[in-house]
Amino acid sequence: MSKKQKVLAIASPGGHWIQLNKICNPLEDRFDMVYVTPGSQYSSAKKGSRKIVNITDASATSKHKLIPLAFQLITLFIKERPSAIISTGAAPGAIAFLLAKVLPIKTIWVDSIANTAEISRSGRMVKKHADLVITQWEQLSNDEGIVYQGSIL
Amino acid sequence: MIFVAVGTQFSFNRLVQYMDEWAVSDENTNNETVIAQVSDGDYQAKNIETQPFMDGEQYNKNIREASVFVSHAGMGNIISAREQQTPIIVINRQHKLGEHRNDHQADGIKWMEKLDGVYTASTREELYAHLNNIEQLKTADTSVVGSEQLSNYIADFISTGKR
Repeated sequence: MSKKQKVLAIASPGGHWIQLNKICNPLEDRFDMVYVTPGSQYSSAKKGSRKIVNITDASATSKHKLIPLAFQLITLFIKERPSAIISTGAAPGAIAFLLAKVLPIKTIWVDSIANTAEISRSGRMVKKHADLVITQWEQLSNDEGIVYQGSIL
Repeated sequence: MIFVAVGTQFSFNRLVQYMDEWAVSDENTNNETVIAQVSDGDYQAKNIETQPFMDGEQYNKNIREASVFVSHAGMGNIISAREQQTPIIVINRQHKLGEHRNDHQADGIKWMEKLDGVYTASTREELYAHLNNIEQLKTADTSVVGSEQLSNYIADFISTGKR
């Protein structure tokens, strides 16, 4: 029997994290999921059988944290050797996608359901680099690769 | 029964007070009882049953059995309301009243109100207008509830999709 493919699931706390879990929890049968989130909200590391890794947060207003964050993500890629990364946002997920671009890792961006009028800022940042970009609002899908396949609701 | 929940992060005294006062007002024509999860809020409710927190099983049971679920504008509760097929009214916390660190819940209700089965309010008047119309509140269409399609699509892309 072949080993399950490993998948990193990255999201900021709050709504992004709730959406990520809604999407990724059903994938746990098919893939070896590793959840990645900034901050200490899940510092217990393992909640049940789920593997959760904490990383540094970074945003447009905290650019000085980008270097430690990038370092942590690269370390994680080397250690876990994921086949794919899924993110619902925001900035840390986008940074992970940019780093993964040069590696054999598929990247899947699911834009937050909170973005009804246009793709989020971090989503626009990764749009050209991600292997799959998904919107949760049909009207935001287009012929240029933004896909709609239902929503987390 | 009407179930009220303010989330686990912060109190939301204003919402609890609105519900406490509505419960005994003439507007509560069906004499609905109100049960509220109030976090660490210090507002002393006189007319409704309050608990700081409750376990997940009780929480979901309350959502399922409620004629309407009244909630802060949190995404988790919207998901639960749709899963339990209960209409939900969400009211946003306001930064200027010290109810949250920022005003993202005000932005939140703008997308939430686009969903069927979800009703939004920013003020006491808007909240009461929905409550006074309980019988007309609808649940989400079951054919569009659920994220199975989205998860399956992503799983298939990981297995077989091209980079």
